[in-house]
Parts: sequence; C-alpha cells; structure tokens
Amino acid sequence: MNHTIRQPTASPQAAAARRKGADLPPVLVYENVRKMYGDFVALSGVSLQVNKGEVMCLIGPSGSGKSTLLRCTNALETLNGGRVLLDGVPLPTREADVRKVRQRMGMVFQSFELFPHKSALDNVAMGPITVLGMNEEKARARAMALLDKVGLVAKANNFPANLSGGQQQRVAIARALAMEPEVMLFDEPTSALDPETVGEVLNVMKKLAQEGMTMIVVTHEMSFAQRVANWVVVFENGAIMEEGPPAQIFDNPTVARTRDFLGHLGWNG
Amino acid sequence: MTFDWSVIWTHRDALLQGAAMTVGLTVVTMLLAVPCGIVLALMRLSSSRLLSNASLAFVEFFRNLPLILVIYWAFYVLPIAFNVEFSALTTALAALVLNVSAYNAETFRAGINSIRKGQLEAALAVGMSRRQAMFKVVIPQAARRILPVLASTWISLFKDTSLVSVIAVGELAYTAMQIRAQTFRVLEMLTAMAALYWLMGYPQAKLVDWIHKKYGVKE
Amino acid sequence: MDIDFSPLIENWRFFAGGLGVTVALSVISALTSLLAGLAIALGRLYGPGWLRPVLVFYIDTMRAIPVLVVLVWIYFAFPLLAGVTFPPFWAALVALTLHIAAYAAEVMRAGIESIRPGQTRAALALGMSRAQILRKVILPQATIRMLPAFGSVLTMAIKDTAIATVIAVPELMHRAETVAGQSYRPVEVYTAVMVAYFCVLFPVTRGVDRLYQRLAHLGRS
Repeated sequence: MNHTIRQPTASPQAAAARRKGADLPPVLVYENVRKMYGDFVALSGVSLQVNKGEVMCLIGPSGSGKSTLLRCTNALETLNGGRVLLDGVPLPTREADVRKVRQRMGMVFQSFELFPHKSALDNVAMGPITVLGMNEEKARARAMALLDKVGLVAKANNFPANLSGGQQQRVAIARALAMEPEVMLFDEPTSALDPETVGEVLNVMKKLAQEGMTMIVVTHEMSFAQRVANWVVVFENGAIMEEGPPAQIFDNPTVARTRDFLGHLGWNG
Repeated sequence: MTFDWSVIWTHRDALLQGAAMTVGLTVVTMLLAVPCGIVLALMRLSSSRLLSNASLAFVEFFRNLPLILVIYWAFYVLPIAFNVEFSALTTALAALVLNVSAYNAETFRAGINSIRKGQLEAALAVGMSRRQAMFKVVIPQAARRILPVLASTWISLFKDTSLVSVIAVGELAYTAMQIRAQTFRVLEMLTAMAALYWLMGYPQAKLVDWIHKKYGVKE
Repeated sequence: MDIDFSPLIENWRFFAGGLGVTVALSVISALTSLLAGLAIALGRLYGPGWLRPVLVFYIDTMRAIPVLVVLVWIYFAFPLLAGVTFPPFWAALVALTLHIAAYAAEVMRAGIESIRPGQTRAALALGMSRAQILRKVILPQATIRMLPAFGSVLTMAIKDTAIATVIAVPELMHRAETVAGQSYRPVEVYTAVMVAYFCVLFPVTRGVDRLYQRLAHLGRS
C-alpha cells in the first residue's frame, strides 16, 4: 500500500488560500444558515463557501444537517435564518424567481426519482422541453449526447422499471446535466445502490469533476471523498466541525471529534 | 307553492319505524353475510378445485349484477324455486345477503391472502403448529386488514337497503315515499328522507374513516 | 313449471333499446363523474382553505345518502324548488354524477397523494412550476395507479343506471319490468336480463384488471 508522505498541514488560512478556485469569486456562499423543523435544529448557523470548479464533499453522521444544507441550496427547503448566495446574489423568495435559480443547479437524489412513466431518453429531455421550452428534437439530441456521456445510449428507450439502480442513477445525473447547471448537488447518490453498481456511478461523478464541474456531494463514500474531493466539510449536530482539504481531514484532522467520527466508520487512513 | 313541513313531524312515528327497519335490515344482513363470506372465502382458498370454482362463480356472479335486479329476481324466482310463499322481507334479506356475501368473500380472501405466506412460514419456523400459526399470527393480522373493508361494506349495505323499497318492504325509503304519495307533500317528504339518511349515515361514515385510520396498514 | 322465453325473443328490439340507454347513461355518467371528481380532488388538495371543508362535507354527504334518495329528490323534489323539470334521463345523469363524483374524488385524491414526494422534489429541482409538475409528473402516474378505480367507477355507473328505473328512465331494467309485467313471465325475463347485465359488467372489470397489469410499472416510482 502506498504511503503518501504526510506533510504537516499548514494553517487553515493557508489551506484556504491554496484551495481550488480561490482566485475567483465563490459560486455559493452560505451565511449563517439556520434551519429548524419544529423544535429540532437541523442547521445552527452554518457559514460556508463553495468555489468554482471545486468538488466539495459533505460528510458526517446521519441527521447532522448535510442533506438539509443541500436542500436549502436549491430552495427545496426554506431558511429560518441567514442567507444563501448564488454568484453573489441571495436566493429569491418569489416562486417564479426561485424556479429560475433552480434551473442553474442540478440535483441528484438518493432514491434517483426518475419519472417512471417516461423512458430514459424522455426523462433526460424533460427538463429542457418543459422548463426551457426547447424544441423536442434538439432536446432529444442533447439527451442522447448526455446518455452517451454516462454510458447508457443503449438504454435510451428503456423505462426506469427496466433499469438497474446504478443505471437509473446515471440517467438521473444525465437528467440534471441536461439543464446545463453551474453547480451539481448530489444527495447521497450511492447510498441506495448495490456495492457492485456504486462504482459505475462514482466513475461518472469523477469524470464530471475532471471536467471542472462545481459539485457538492453529500456522501458516506469516504474513498471517493479522499480521492476526488478538493474540499471536505465535516458536519455534526447541524454545525460544521471541521473543513479542509482531504489530506487534512482524513490524515491529520485538527478536531478530535473528526477523528472519532472517521474511526467509527472504520476509517483507518 | 307552499310547503308544509309539519307533515314530517306528524308522521314521525312511521318514519322512525322505517329508519329502525333500515338499521335492522343492515344488521341482520351483515350478521348473515359475514359467516357466509368466510365460508365462501375458505372454499375459494381450499385445495378442492370444485369448491374453489363454485365459490369463484358465485362471487363473480353477484359482484357483477345490479342489486336492484337481484331484488326483483329474488322476488319472482325464489317462491317458484322453493315452492313456498316468501314475505317481501325475507326476499329482501335473501337478496341482500347474497349480494353482500359475495363482497365479503372477496374481502376475507384478500385479507387472508395478504398475510399468508411469509408470516405463516415465520410462525411455523419458530415451532408453532399450523393451528397456532393461523390463530395467533395470521388471523389477527388479517383481521386488521379486513376490518376497514368490512366497515366500508357496511356503509354500502346501509345505503343499499333503500333499494328493497321497490318490493314494498317498510324501511325508510318506502315509508317516506308512501307518506309522500298519501300527503302529496313531495319536497317535504323527500327532503326529510334525505335528511334522515344523512343523520344516520354521516356518523357512520366518520366512524368508518376512524376505523380506516386506526387499522389502516402501513407496510 | 313451464319455461317460455318467447316474450324475450319477440321484444328483443325493445330490450336492445333499453341496453343502449343503459350503456349511454353509464358511460356519460362515468365520464362526468370522473371529470367532476378530478375537479373536486384538485380543489381539495390545492384549492383555497375555505373550499376544503365544503368539499369534504359534500363527499361525506354522498357517502351517507343512498343514490336512490338522491335520484328521486332530483327528479321529484328539485323541480318544486327551482321551477325547472328534468326529463328522466337527465335527472338520472345529474343524480348519478352527484353521487359517483364523490367516490371518484376520494379515489383521485388518494391516487395523487400516493405519488412519492421525491418525485415532486426531483421535478422542482429541474425548475418545473407546480402546474407543470402536476400535469407532467403527478397526474400521469396517478392516472395509471387509479385505473382499477376508474373501472370501479364505470361498473358503479352501470349498476346504478338500473336504479333509474324508478323514475322511468327507459333503460334495460325498466324494459325488463315492462315486459315481465305484460307477459307474466317474470322468471324468464329477469333471469335473461341478469345474464345480460353480467355480460356487460364482467368484461369491464376483467378488461380493467388486464389493462392495469400491463401498465402498472409506469406508475411505480
């Protein structure tokens, strides 16, 4: 097994300065985001920044707020405090404006949520046709190209009932990409998959990352986070425990709780 | 056009008797149709082809006929078939029981079937006898699924009793329409009839909702 | 006991006409009930707050009152209030629709609510509007899931048309009564008409079952 030389991590500020995309204004900024469900505090004032072209992985125990933050990003959840800024502009409140913002972000769900009454191709083309008002032929052509990108051209006319979990998730990724988003949000994309099919989905995500897509990924796949992520954020109890490059989080966490959490997952570095 | 709503009060005794008859018909029919339904369901689930098909034929036949037709048919055919004079009431009960048994048979069969295999096997695997498994595991769970459906059938039956008015059985609909014919107070009597059914039926509908909520199965 | 089916054979045209009215009344009331039911379900799910209790009251009322009662009230009592008379066929249509639409509304509400919330979230994430989501994602799936219930609505309508005989709508049941009364052969007439109704109803339920089995996977998310 390769042992990479572990250099002592520089101070968090230095790490932030060397962060990918740090020279450009951030794509997303979370300012003190608060979210409550009744009495339960899901997010207790989270501040975070996502840079352009960055692959950010959100990790942490269940219920720690990572998925909630993701859903607040594209306004599937409303905030109880703080703001989310996309390209420096706070998320709007009017439904029609929110829809426009959602078009600029793509989301991939743990349960895939393909539309069962449409073929794979039609699932991918649906966004452009319905939301962007694109001409059907053009939309289908774009859909085909995206299905090719995720390796599922042969299944274009299959209905979701005839696709494996991994195939459905790849179609779901193509569906999100069809809207040509600035940011891709992944909510535990592989948690519902058999171990054999997890790989095919992670490969597609890796390819996307290499092409420079800005991605926020909530995941339990630690090897993916370690190898593909540019920045890792550790959540607990609705707050950020620690954030930094994967080398810091996985090899040299500065916060003891992070060590505990990773240890619990059986992560031995 | 003047309306005289006092006719309702004047004839309240007759109307209440009619309502009582409606309730009575519902209760007696259900008391008979539940055991019949169970028997038919067991026949259908039995390994004997003959019994199973006989039950299937009966159930499919009566579920695919309008009840009012069955009532008329029973009225004319039963006396001839059995060579006995039946009262209208007996005929009505016969028709209702035939009809509701068919629905109950399906309810019981589906309820039992929805539990059978896995639960039964699990119970047997623990070491229970077939009998214990049926009575301690399958039937209690089947009962939870069957009860809401039975409650809905009850309400349908309650409303269907109005149809036996066509063979002059003195339940609420017949009574109200008789009074209408006698007094010529059409709007008053028909509205009273509707209101009385509403007063009896609305609470029952709410009760059925409650039963569905309480015993509704969440897998 | 002698059996004589001649009244049926002699009057077959009369019966055929009755069957035609039965089919027409059933199909039209089924359609109007489904449309009204959809409107009521959508009103209940997405309408203004004050509308909800009104619709629930209507639905619960139709669960409590027999269709016979609604039928005779519409035909005999309503004209006295409003001053308009309905010909029997139309009175039956209105009454049946009123009664069955309540059931249809409940079925549709359940169908729509059974669609996983994840489907709505995925569609929202793409940027679809609520109306688009309803039209393109929810209703298509719900419709497939509700196919068996639509079949029930149709069978309900067919059976309820027989009740329309009490207001002398010239459908099959009424024709049966007429011929049975005139020919003094009730056993033969009613038995034959029973077979006729069975032959109409049975294929409808079976057909719907078959269709649903073929299409069910399109509604499963």
